[in-house]
Amino acid sequence: MKITRRSLALGGAGLVAGAPLARPALAQNDPIRIGWLAALTGPSSAPAVGFNRGVLFATEAINAAGGVKGRRIEILTRDTQGDPTKAVNATQEMISQLRVHAIWGPTNSGESLAVTAIMARAKMPNIHPCVVDTLIDERRYPNAFRITPSNTQWDDAVRGYCLNRVNARKVAVIGDTTGYGVSAVNASVAGFQRDGAEVVYKANIDATQPDMTPDMLRARNAGAQAIVIWSVSTGMIARMLNTRATMNWDVPFVGHPALSSGEIGSLVERPANWEKVYAIGYRSCSYDAAGNLPPRTADLVRRLQGKVNLQDTLLWWVASAIDAIDLIAKAVDATGSTSNDAIIGNWNSLRNYPGYFGTYSYSPTQHNGFPVEEVVMSAANSARNGAFTLAPGY
Amino acid sequence: MLASIIASGLAVGAVYALIGITYNTMFATSRVMSFTAGQLGMLGGVFGSMFMLRLGLPVLPALALTLICCALIGVVTEIVAVRPVLKSLEQHLYVLTTLALALLIQHTTAMEWSTEPQPFPRLVNFGSGIWDEKYWLPVVVCIATIIGLEYLYRRTLVGRAFVAIAEDNFAARALGLPERNLRMASYALAGAIGALAGFAGGQLLLAFFANGSLLNFYGFIPVALGGLGNNRGAVIGGFVLGLFQQAANFMVGGIFSSVAVFTLFIIVLLAAPQGMFGAQAARRV
Repeated sequence: MKITRRSLALGGAGLVAGAPLARPALAQNDPIRIGWLAALTGPSSAPAVGFNRGVLFATEAINAAGGVKGRRIEILTRDTQGDPTKAVNATQEMISQLRVHAIWGPTNSGESLAVTAIMARAKMPNIHPCVVDTLIDERRYPNAFRITPSNTQWDDAVRGYCLNRVNARKVAVIGDTTGYGVSAVNASVAGFQRDGAEVVYKANIDATQPDMTPDMLRARNAGAQAIVIWSVSTGMIARMLNTRATMNWDVPFVGHPALSSGEIGSLVERPANWEKVYAIGYRSCSYDAAGNLPPRTADLVRRLQGKVNLQDTLLWWVASAIDAIDLIAKAVDATGSTSNDAIIGNWNSLRNYPGYFGTYSYSPTQHNGFPVEEVVMSAANSARNGAFTLAPGY
Repeated sequence: MLASIIASGLAVGAVYALIGITYNTMFATSRVMSFTAGQLGMLGGVFGSMFMLRLGLPVLPALALTLICCALIGVVTEIVAVRPVLKSLEQHLYVLTTLALALLIQHTTAMEWSTEPQPFPRLVNFGSGIWDEKYWLPVVVCIATIIGLEYLYRRTLVGRAFVAIAEDNFAARALGLPERNLRMASYALAGAIGALAGFAGGQLLLAFFANGSLLNFYGFIPVALGGLGNNRGAVIGGFVLGLFQQAANFMVGGIFSSVAVFTLFIIVLLAAPQGMFGAQAARRV
């Protein structure tokens, strides 16, 4: 057959016209690709290891049930090792080469600060568990959604507990000398003063300072009725608890989730030194006074039994990762599309979405979807199956 | 408050002084300021905790094994980071090589041990309050170490050989002293002294990988204050530093105490560049 210029032009036009018709058929079999930026190794890997268990559990559950409209979930994981540079490279790879439909992570704020703008330029639907307030900016980053509380929400919860349940009107606010510690202490002090409380002592302590007696003495002499801690340094926290015991002072410690880290248990000189310590926790992952989890969480724990180890991780890490994968899957299910606009639009329309970790509500002007009333304080020394007992007063 | 300042100030000062002696011991036979000194202190705590708490060894075997391990790391320092750059000391390449090895040690410890502080057990279980063993033990160990070193350098043949190498390397070699072996021995000795610092101060500092850089900084100050190569100066400088730092902690608080320490350090060096107890170096003209 002779190929003429006319037949070639007609054939080409036919291909162009037919291409849009063929695309949905291809896309319907395409897996839903989710990028997972996880610091699975390195010094801050513990949360990502927990999150990863939730990611794998949720993915297997969805795929075992036939996927989303027949499409399987495919997780494309990159280990960022907690390094912002590696996170940037992995994000660019996910956007331009792996062509993922949404990204879950990174899992720490340092990495997230480095990649948020990159994802925003690509309009990549992104959901993450990082607490730094500036990571959520609905105008600059309309693609970024937070699944956990923000630092401000943590701060509100700690302040509310001190003022309303401990009834402490004079507080000492102490952090470490890291950027996080300094900014968190300043924000916390401003919050207490705004609510009419008296911050009688404010300090940022070098986390390697071997003796905490000076600061604890100053806090006591100033009349502190509660000590608010903003630090991830377990060594510093344990030294302060040991010093509190040496001083025979029973002031409560309230603050950062690191107060409940298992490392503290091994560093305090006596188990009693870890009493009256209340760390940020979440209602969905807290035991009530009778030792029961909320029914929905209890059901999840039953489903996780034998499949996911909760002994060496935190339940909220696992639960929030399950919610993140579910949120992406449900957005595709609801809109029938994996386009960026469809997923982001679906998330923006969520009202009181019942996840395992929280009840999320997002809108175009509010991407902090975790409700502050679900942030509670936990008895720091009460860990069991990755969950904690509610602090007194609830 | 005064008792607390003195107790904790002398304790941390003793640890700083021992790290200062570690610097000096390595410097004496090689003319190299090895920045692995603080890491050896850190490893003293980490090895001690590992042998006693994880492997369940009694105190004395754990101490012996800790000293041996750190002495070996001292020897490795000499072979890997010091010996290759000795021929070009004036280029100060040892800063790079010893810092690189120090970082290697720190990161390996973080990966293999833990990135979180780990507990260090009580050793003799004697004393409480300001007389707790975590305060007096480093002081006792520091005093015992300086007495032991004085004995070694003044009364033993090996010690005198160390001094000979330190005073005039070329003359000592001309006399037939095995310079390389003595240098390795001094690095092993430095490793053991660093280990003692970490072991004795373990209850204060905990077994924590990040202690290495802290000890590198604060262990260097007694050396500068006391005069390079002067162990007695390092001990006095260490105690002065510890007491001043703790007093500043009580008076002005955590962040500002570091500022106060380094301000004092700069003022002393401006007034006496060779250190409080260092001699003016003679220069051949």
